[in-house]
Amino acid sequence: MTSPYAETEAILIAKAQKGDRDAFGELVRHHHPGVVNVVYRMCGDVELAEDAAQDAFIQAWLHLPSFRPGTSLRNWIYRIAVNAALDVLRREPKTPPVDLETLSMPDSLAGPEIVLLEKERAFAVQQAILSLTEANRSVLTLREYGGLSYQEIAATLNIPLGTVMSRLNYARDRLRELLAPQLINMEIANG
Amino acid sequence: MVKHITPWLNAYLDGELPDAQLRQVEKHLAECDECQAKLEQMRNLSALLHETAPTGEFLPTGRFVANLTLNLPRRPEHSRPRKALEIGWWLIPVGALGVWLFFQITFSLSSVIFTVSETGLLDNGLSWLQGNPLQTRWFSLAMDLFGGQLGFTGKFILSALNDLSLFIQDMTSRFIWQVLFATLYLGWLASWWWRQSNQAIPASAVPQS
Repeated sequence: MTSPYAETEAILIAKAQKGDRDAFGELVRHHHPGVVNVVYRMCGDVELAEDAAQDAFIQAWLHLPSFRPGTSLRNWIYRIAVNAALDVLRREPKTPPVDLETLSMPDSLAGPEIVLLEKERAFAVQQAILSLTEANRSVLTLREYGGLSYQEIAATLNIPLGTVMSRLNYARDRLRELLAPQLINMEIANG
Repeated sequence: MVKHITPWLNAYLDGELPDAQLRQVEKHLAECDECQAKLEQMRNLSALLHETAPTGEFLPTGRFVANLTLNLPRRPEHSRPRKALEIGWWLIPVGALGVWLFFQITFSLSSVIFTVSETGLLDNGLSWLQGNPLQTRWFSLAMDLFGGQLGFTGKFILSALNDLSLFIQDMTSRFIWQVLFATLYLGWLASWWWRQSNQAIPASAVPQS
């Protein structure tokens, strides 16, 4: 039996544009992991990211009839997702104080000290990304977590290629400064 | 003084450099410890960003899709006026091209008929199409006032000036028509391109710098 996604994306888009919810569900199934990854890094909070992802896919559903076939659905959805994440952050700008003890992390066989260190590192990375401006954060997350090329980021955010490069340079420079202790630990651990 | 390639390191790391710059960067990296160290830092940063897992657990994709498809709202139906506008929008270039073709064919046919008729090949067969010889107002007035006093050369010069004047009028009107159609068509193309590149994006808040 072939996977439901074996039907080409173009066919699913055409069906979904006509109102086929199952076809849209297949599209969501395919793009959900990438979208969640990007909006999580934009929001820095799992619940906000879930809300943003849901908003993004609902907006995509509502506006799908105006989607131009032949262009990249992924880029189109990522653009909606980035904007949805920013909207969610504007609606709920207050970030609750984080208790590292209560943060849940993926199951690990490591001891409690290592787990705590991992939590601290994850929290530091999250905070460093959140400290970037929205414009720089959008470019960084689309590159690092969305895996988009510079050209795709430029098309997705509707900005010139040179702006993508300069924002990415700035964002990475800033992160290197903010995450210097973690980077030094990494260098030491790697020998 | 060594010129470092720091601004290109990000693009190098992301595999976004064109061949010529790529070779330049690789050559420089082979000789420059400072840039090598910087590249290593950047690699570590990228690894750090990817190694750190989200601090929380997301809904599994299957459940997310199930919840979402249950909550999908109904799409607003396109109203009739909007559909009519869409059809009208596509009729603009078709109509402009049709009118332009009609004028081009009419102008070309009349030129051919006039030329053939001038050579006398049609005898009087199509004289009804030609009507009276074309005259400008100033030429008619000049002929009425001074026609009797002018000799052959004078009449010839006036007639040549009349033809030139008619030719310029004809060219000007054609030029204006062409410019009007070209403007209409190019304007439509530009707005079509603009619509295509700004296809509906729900949230209007594109990140600002």
